[in-house]
Amino acid sequence: MTDRRTNATGEPNQEDEEVRRGQEERLRTVWAAPRSWRYWSAVNNTEVGVWYTAAAFGFMLFAGVLALMMRVQLAVPENDFLSATFYNQVYTLHGTAMMFLFAVPIFEAVAIILLPQMLGARDLPFPRLSAFGFWCFVIGGVFVCGSIFFGAAPNAGWFMYPPLTTNEQYTPGYGPDIWLLGLSFIEVASIAAAVELIVGTLKCRPPGMRLNLMPLYGWYVLVVAGMILFAFPPLIAGDILFELERMFDWPFFDPSRGGDPLLWQHLFWIFGHPEVYIVFLPAVALVAMIVPTFAQRPILGYSWIVLAAVGTGFISFGLWVHHMYTTGLPSISLGFFSAASEAVAIPTGVQIFVFLATLLTGRVIYSVPMLFVSGALAIFVIGGLTGVMVALVPFDWQAHDTYFVVGHLHCVLIGGMLFPLAAGIYYYWPIVGGRRLSDKLGRVAFWLMFAGFNLAFLPMHYSGLAGMARRVWTYSEELGVGMANFASSIGAFVFAAGFLVIVWDVLRPRGKEAHARRNPWNAGTLEWLTEMPGESWGVRSVPIVTTRYPLWEQPNFIDDVDKGRFYLPDAEEMKRETIITSVLDGEPLQCLRVPGPSFMPMIAAVLTGAVFIFATFHWWAATFAAMGLSVASIIVWLWRGTAEIPEKAEKNVGLGLKLPLYKSGPHSIGWWAMFITMTGDAMAFIGLIFGYYYFFTIHADFPPPAAVGPGVFWPGVALAMFALAWGAALFGGISNRAERIGTSRALMAAGTLTSLAGSAALLWGPYVTGLDPTAHVYPATVWVLAIWTAVHGGVGGLMLGYCLGRSFAGRLTPAHDVDISNVTLYWHFMGGTALLTVTTLALFPILT
Amino acid sequence: MTATRLALSTTFALSACQGSQTAFDPAGVEAERVLTLFWIMLAGGGAIWAVVVGLGFYATRVAPEQHSEKAGLRLIIWGGCGFTTIVLAALLFWGLKMMPELRRPADGPTVAVSGEQFWWRVAYGVEGDPGVVRNLPMGGVPSANEIRIPLGQRTEILLSSPDVIHSFWVPQLAGKMDAIPGRVNRLILEPTEAGVFNGACAEFCGTAHAQMGFRVVVVSESEFEAYVQAQAEPAAVVDSAGLDLFLQNGCAACHSVRGTPADGDVGPDLTHLASRRTIAAGLLPTTEENIAAFIASPDHLKPGVEMPAFGMLPNEQIAQIAAWLGSLE
Amino acid sequence: MQVFGKTQDNLWTLIAAPTIWGGHFLFSYLLAAYRCAPNADPFRGIGGTRIAIAVATLVSLALIALILRRSWREWRADGGGFRNSQDTPEARERFLEFSTLLLACLSFAAVAFETMPILLIGDCR
Repeated sequence: MTDRRTNATGEPNQEDEEVRRGQEERLRTVWAAPRSWRYWSAVNNTEVGVWYTAAAFGFMLFAGVLALMMRVQLAVPENDFLSATFYNQVYTLHGTAMMFLFAVPIFEAVAIILLPQMLGARDLPFPRLSAFGFWCFVIGGVFVCGSIFFGAAPNAGWFMYPPLTTNEQYTPGYGPDIWLLGLSFIEVASIAAAVELIVGTLKCRPPGMRLNLMPLYGWYVLVVAGMILFAFPPLIAGDILFELERMFDWPFFDPSRGGDPLLWQHLFWIFGHPEVYIVFLPAVALVAMIVPTFAQRPILGYSWIVLAAVGTGFISFGLWVHHMYTTGLPSISLGFFSAASEAVAIPTGVQIFVFLATLLTGRVIYSVPMLFVSGALAIFVIGGLTGVMVALVPFDWQAHDTYFVVGHLHCVLIGGMLFPLAAGIYYYWPIVGGRRLSDKLGRVAFWLMFAGFNLAFLPMHYSGLAGMARRVWTYSEELGVGMANFASSIGAFVFAAGFLVIVWDVLRPRGKEAHARRNPWNAGTLEWLTEMPGESWGVRSVPIVTTRYPLWEQPNFIDDVDKGRFYLPDAEEMKRETIITSVLDGEPLQCLRVPGPSFMPMIAAVLTGAVFIFATFHWWAATFAAMGLSVASIIVWLWRGTAEIPEKAEKNVGLGLKLPLYKSGPHSIGWWAMFITMTGDAMAFIGLIFGYYYFFTIHADFPPPAAVGPGVFWPGVALAMFALAWGAALFGGISNRAERIGTSRALMAAGTLTSLAGSAALLWGPYVTGLDPTAHVYPATVWVLAIWTAVHGGVGGLMLGYCLGRSFAGRLTPAHDVDISNVTLYWHFMGGTALLTVTTLALFPILT
Repeated sequence: MTATRLALSTTFALSACQGSQTAFDPAGVEAERVLTLFWIMLAGGGAIWAVVVGLGFYATRVAPEQHSEKAGLRLIIWGGCGFTTIVLAALLFWGLKMMPELRRPADGPTVAVSGEQFWWRVAYGVEGDPGVVRNLPMGGVPSANEIRIPLGQRTEILLSSPDVIHSFWVPQLAGKMDAIPGRVNRLILEPTEAGVFNGACAEFCGTAHAQMGFRVVVVSESEFEAYVQAQAEPAAVVDSAGLDLFLQNGCAACHSVRGTPADGDVGPDLTHLASRRTIAAGLLPTTEENIAAFIASPDHLKPGVEMPAFGMLPNEQIAQIAAWLGSLE
Repeated sequence: MQVFGKTQDNLWTLIAAPTIWGGHFLFSYLLAAYRCAPNADPFRGIGGTRIAIAVATLVSLALIALILRRSWREWRADGGGFRNSQDTPEARERFLEFSTLLLACLSFAAVAFETMPILLIGDCR
């Protein structure tokens, strides 16, 4: 018999209000943020995303103050408001903070807030990873920015060219170390966010949302996260070389011992140029969401936007040398990069024309977000056009390293990123704050910012070509750029005033001001399902999506979601849950239990931060202690919070659909995360390998005759050991699945031991052949590759040991084998790494 | 402006200490061609900007009502793809074609210039090649912070650095080229006018980066020959109280004055200091007062400079040293 | 219209053409760098390198053209048109084919741009 609370199939009757109230109560309890001091253990995207955004804006305001200090100093010729040494810290920190602590993190922050909402998901797949990334970001950012209050800030520009920065003689103190280690730490956070967002867009879409129905924001996030994965790791490789030189005198960039300062420039800009697009594309993504709403029509040319996002993502990796046109590289090399730098303007142009065409074919409603979009268009197009100019090598020979470039890059970043972001703030604030921002203040802010921007940055193009180099703390009267600089300084303050109006608008006390109505802009995409004010659960039920703009195109959609007529309307088991779907067509595959609040991410971040901070000050004992503790904390985190075996195999998620609660192998999101992380890791490794072959191209005697070391024998032994461990991981997993637990445990134990032995053998090679890493760049390069691979071998061993422990603890069983299947995947990458390292170190010297 | 310069260049070329540093007033082949490129790109860019922004204004404010999708798609295809591809291809062709022409082999003298914190070491009459994993050729006639080159020839500047990366930039003559430790780069200067042209370091190189200037003086071929010969001579005054003080106070540990026992190699060669327009790397006109002021407190005039202050010496001794240095024509 | 051997498009087929651009770019850059990096004799011609890059360019253009042709034909076979927002596997397929087509066009242009340096610059100067 059925009572009125269940329907014919025994499911809860969503039409019954009492049923719904019960469900809502449970959902609210499950998804509620922890209270009082435990609040900071929250991991849900609605909390972490907001903290992340606030912190990024905090750093932005700090960097903005630094900018104003610079503009005061440069307002008149031969000014002495700031000293030369302090000015150099100020400009370095301005660039560093704006790029690393604002422009990139704000993408991650906004995506963490918006992406789950746009995808009708309850949370991202790895909320604790997001929280870990956030805490890393805050700790690293405070560390880097705080240094200026001790006069110890980095002072050689945000791209830190050696040998100025690697040699204590030229840059005494801790400045460059703080920059290097603080930011390396933040790069880890970025990569964590990239993993989260890629898995989020590919696997956490709502049922039915095929790739062709995904919101454009999702496409941009996917592309940008992919770019982070390929762009940041080479910089981490560069950071490793850099810090080894600065701390231990390994001569990677010292030409007197075979190094080359240009290697850093390559590694830095392989990161640095894609980074510009990593900053720009997410902001365009906001525009791609705003424009259709205010044109009140679907985007015209959806595929063209995908073309533009993916195309830009690729081509942006072929531009890095355009920051190096004046380094004396051969013309033909410069030519390739010039060609790519011109080609990248094509997809960018397409994007702009898609927006124009959408506006043209729609019935445009003009409002504050549109005002900022228009301003963005006007400014960004200037930046784009000057970008096309400086992409031409001969023109760049004049413009490079002058205020022309300063003007250009601010047009691109402020026009291409800050104005769209301001549009995004006005557009999306109701989702975060439940109320609309003031139209009046928005207009005031816009016009101040727009006028201030143009007054500040257009004259810089003139100053630069009139002979003003960038990064000068003062300039002489005869240079004739006094008026232009004065105008720039006035403009900077007007611009800052405009931005403060936005800050005020966001922070001002609202008293009893009414909440905005739901979907206040009449938009068509899922994030506007949010109630005003929002509920912590995100969506009431996870909808079935059949259109690009469900709120416009699917009848009765909001009511169906609200009444829980779609999936997961309840949290019967009092667990946080969301739905995992397939990549192409969004078919539901799994009901994922996402972890709830925990202090572990914060503790792990603090301990990892301690490693970097202690290392900065050369407190080695403390560094190693912190390293041990941070590894331990991560193991505890993983042990207690991942791959939990559910109480039942599958559950009814509603509408008669039963989904498994546990998946392993390529069907599990953990496997995807491992794959993506290791792709990034492999990129860093390729960065190091690039260093080896780079020296090969510039030196006649690199590598030196094979007799020098590390020889063939010990690397060969290491490779054999790693191969055994690789096999042990593979067959350990297979025998576990085949329920041969004993064999599987023996293999895991053997794998642990052989991988540690392999690491030892790999390090023994260069040691026993007497390679001194401080003597020449060759031994230094050999050592760094050997250490990289040995550390990965060690981690691989640790992972196998972890699996062994999980097996004994009953947390890894034949049916529930996520741990070993992910570790096996790690070992596939590790095997490749070992193979490439040993081939390079042992065989390449014989071949040449 | 150019006409005035032509008229004045012969009379003022040797007396003016300040040139200018603007790329808008070119006096070299590369600078001229790049400026032409810039004006054309600026005009074209301005037109494109006006059309794009105008279109945006039209679509949102003038005629916010709906237009046909066909028109919209045409706009994307022809405006976003067709037009941009063609314009970019044409620009790229132009830019690439200029490169090998501007980097043609030199037919004039070779001058070695070493960027050092925070001044420029100059050597005339050197033989050497650019390349990686190499240092600037040694020898030649040493000088500092002022480079003379002949009009009507393509002078090859060989650039490197013993310390950090600098960048050599004379906007009126040509674009910039970095001076990178362990590499020797080449830059061609082909002046089209005689005169004094200011140069600057364009790559951040440390505290005094902003004050690491220099002068390029373009003279006739015969004047150039005579100048190099004169620079090769030892110092004019080798017997004075100023010299004694110079030696006593350890100045010779860093500076050379050929013809005297002073043979330091750390700082600029001062053998013909008074023949140069400026002291302290383009910072101050060469006058006795400025020399004295700089000796007394270099760090005040040029924060970050490597030279220690000699303010502890009595003023009259500083004046004597300055007077002697000021006489080294 | 039926196309023989129709492929199921996915994210990998989508990025095939720009990946070819990437491979070509890397090959051109590395070969030129290897040839010219020592910078010892900047005025000697590098005909061999230019020919090698030209061959790589032709191969890349041909591969991209194949992708272009495939995606064009399959897109047409699936009905063509710019509308691909329906809730069907065919619409998703059509969307991916059309996007692949566009990316192939862009990659083709980008590779073609890369031919200009080897046409206009004949040595390592």
